[in-house]
Amino acid sequence: MERVTFDKLNNIEKGLRTNSFVIASGTIDKVFNLENGDYDILIKDLNKDQKIVINVLEGSTAKISFFANNELNNLDVDVNCYRNSEANVWFADFSKDKNVVNVSIYLKEEGAAANFHLASLTSKQDDKVFNISAKHEAKNTYAKVDNYGVCKDSGKLIFDGVSHILNKCVQSKTYQNAKIMVFDKACNAIAKPILKIDENDIAANHAAVVGKVNDEHLFYLTSRGLSEAQAKEVITFGYLKPILEGFIDEDVKEEISKLIEGRM
Amino acid sequence: MSALKIKDLHVSVEGKEILKGINLEIKEGETVALLGPNGHGKSTLFNAIMGHPRYTVTKGSIYLDDVDVLSLSVDERAKAGLFLGMQLPAEVPGVINSDFLRAAVNVRQERPVSTYNFYKLLDNAIKKMKMPFDLATRSLNEGFSGGEKKRNEILQMLLLNPKIAMLDEIDSGLDVDALQVVGEVIKEEQAKGMGFLVISHYARLFDLIQPTRAIVIINGRVAIDGDSSVIKRIDTEGYEFIKTELGIDIEKEDGEMNKVSIGTCAVKESIK
Repeated sequence: MERVTFDKLNNIEKGLRTNSFVIASGTIDKVFNLENGDYDILIKDLNKDQKIVINVLEGSTAKISFFANNELNNLDVDVNCYRNSEANVWFADFSKDKNVVNVSIYLKEEGAAANFHLASLTSKQDDKVFNISAKHEAKNTYAKVDNYGVCKDSGKLIFDGVSHILNKCVQSKTYQNAKIMVFDKACNAIAKPILKIDENDIAANHAAVVGKVNDEHLFYLTSRGLSEAQAKEVITFGYLKPILEGFIDEDVKEEISKLIEGRM
Repeated sequence: MSALKIKDLHVSVEGKEILKGINLEIKEGETVALLGPNGHGKSTLFNAIMGHPRYTVTKGSIYLDDVDVLSLSVDERAKAGLFLGMQLPAEVPGVINSDFLRAAVNVRQERPVSTYNFYKLLDNAIKKMKMPFDLATRSLNEGFSGGEKKRNEILQMLLLNPKIAMLDEIDSGLDVDALQVVGEVIKEEQAKGMGFLVISHYARLFDLIQPTRAIVIINGRVAIDGDSSVIKRIDTEGYEFIKTELGIDIEKEDGEMNKVSIGTCAVKESIK
């Protein structure tokens, strides 16, 4: 895929070129229209307080990968999926301090599908809220939200969000999964995935788990000679690592791996 | 030559005493078959030796040579030369089998083993175990069949090369061919001097590995410490003769049902 920088991207008037790998950074605050093709967009080094709207137009597929490694404050992202489009959103959160991230996925037309994956590492005094919602506004639409978090020190991490299937959106499927692994007593971790279902002919489930590292996993790894700290690091890395799938840029992958290892 | 010495070991699980004074000694190069009815303390003994946090040692001692095993953390016990091949190996999502194995090998080295040397080591062990190489690149035990998990335990034993290996029902889940492979590998390690404590309910594994001794644990104590002929006898007659000949009443397992928690949609907040 051809790489296009954000500056160049700004100069493209009628949406983005297809089959391009785009790196966007800084203040984005804009609307992306993705049409007629496959897109891979990496959004990183975000500035504070902004709103991004991504329209995945008919028949297009988009991989949208967010990498947050500094302060975010307020970030609003709307992903609008149109007929037979597919959006795969990956969010690697290693931001610091206080932030609220709202991601709203709208499945606007028949056959639209979206997957959302979040991996968040919250530590020290971080205070983070992720509202990840999916709204099914047409029949035969699909959404899957997977939120994974690790909470350390005095960090506060909240996974919130509503998956909503509107009336008459038959054959729609919606899934939500929120898991937070807690390391220290001073952590505050809450996972509350909510389903709102206004139609009978659908499939839906949700799951929430907040808990400490599994004792059996810890025993297994330490019984092979890894110290408790090493075992916890290995487990955390394994827990957050699936997010790497969402990034094709090797430098970013390496940076994420280092951030996981460094902060553990 | 190394020896594991267990004296008057009492172990409780959640306040209930399971082991009530175990005395046992095993030397490197020995293979000891550990038998006994379900729920009488065989796995408890292994877990207590390895240091599982659920098992509390209330009395007694465990020494590996002159090292006080009970004073060591779990990882220190492993590094001292103890290995537990588990009955139900944990599935650890996201942790790649080979990464984990390499980390486990490296903690035993002064300098980390090179990538090339590690893969050579791993490749040899995998070939010996007749395992597909892709098992090494998958998440640790996740999605492995019962037999694959057990082979993976033996693979770890091969790579970590302990002084004493405790194998807890390593034959369950193995098909006939896999059992043969595991038996051959154990025999090879026996010849090199590794000591084995092996729990199994079936004579087939013991036929392959020819234990030097057999120990029967009843009611949390060693009821028989003898030669391997007792294996054949238990295999054909069961444990009833212990009651009639030794006058030991065999306590029945608790009839209490396992506590089952039904999945819930509610949010669990363990720490707030």
